Amino acid sequence: MTVAIDDGLWSAIGDPTRRRMLDLLLADGAGTATTLSDRLPVTRQAVSKHLVVLDRVGLVHVTPAGRERRYRVDEAQLARAAAQLADVGATWDARLLRIKRIAEAIQRAQD
Amino acid sequence: MEIGIIEREIHVDASPEIAYEVISSPEHIREWWNGAETDLSPTPGATAELAWGRGTAEPHIEQLTVVDAKPPRVFSFRWVYEGADVATPTNSLLVTFELIPSGAGTTVRLTESGWREKGWEAAVLEAAYTDHVNGWDIFMPSLGAYVTRLVSTP
Repeated sequence: MTVAIDDGLWSAIGDPTRRRMLDLLLADGAGTATTLSDRLPVTRQAVSKHLVVLDRVGLVHVTPAGRERRYRVDEAQLARAAAQLADVGATWDARLLRIKRIAEAIQRAQD
Repeated sequence: MEIGIIEREIHVDASPEIAYEVISSPEHIREWWNGAETDLSPTPGATAELAWGRGTAEPHIEQLTVVDAKPPRVFSFRWVYEGADVATPTNSLLVTFELIPSGAGTTVRLTESGWREKGWEAAVLEAAYTDHVNGWDIFMPSLGAYVTRLVSTP
């Protein structure tokens, strides 16, 4: 009917650093705050905070790994995020087709 | 291809005047927008409600503010600014219908933007990734593929 927006998911994914982190986790399969901060221009502490946000909305899963915590992307949740926008596009397609049909019926009636 | 914007184009075998009327008048909006009741007046700055299921246990109401109304060329509005009193470029989505005369008919160009400002830009980026997983095609969906869906949607 209308846009179903999961605000938490979107604000989590809306941050460029968090997106870069997701990219790295996807490319590497998994990572820790240390391995991620080695490859990003932000501190390990900042990376940890971002990981908490991603974890809260279910975009990453955590497993203990020695003294660190190991993170992995939840691909189903990421797909869900992408599917929400695809749905919005499909919804507009349906509305535009209805606009087309109504306008053409009116035009035919006038001709 | 701009990231974070939905763009669609459809040819309509009707004049721009008729297409504009269908897009902007409450009686037609109810027909093409899943029964939405609205008190919309197509005047820049006018606010209106879009209401579905009014009087039922679960009504759904969205606010809308008309941005531009130049018949029969442009009609645009902002919506989805939950919780805010006033729609602004950073808290809402901007829907624009452009009507371009084309042969005996009209090309209707729709854009819905504001995803980037609302933090949705990533959806498109991530969709490219998901494309490989699920076969999504966000930007070039075949309209025909949605006809079934259109028919089955009230």
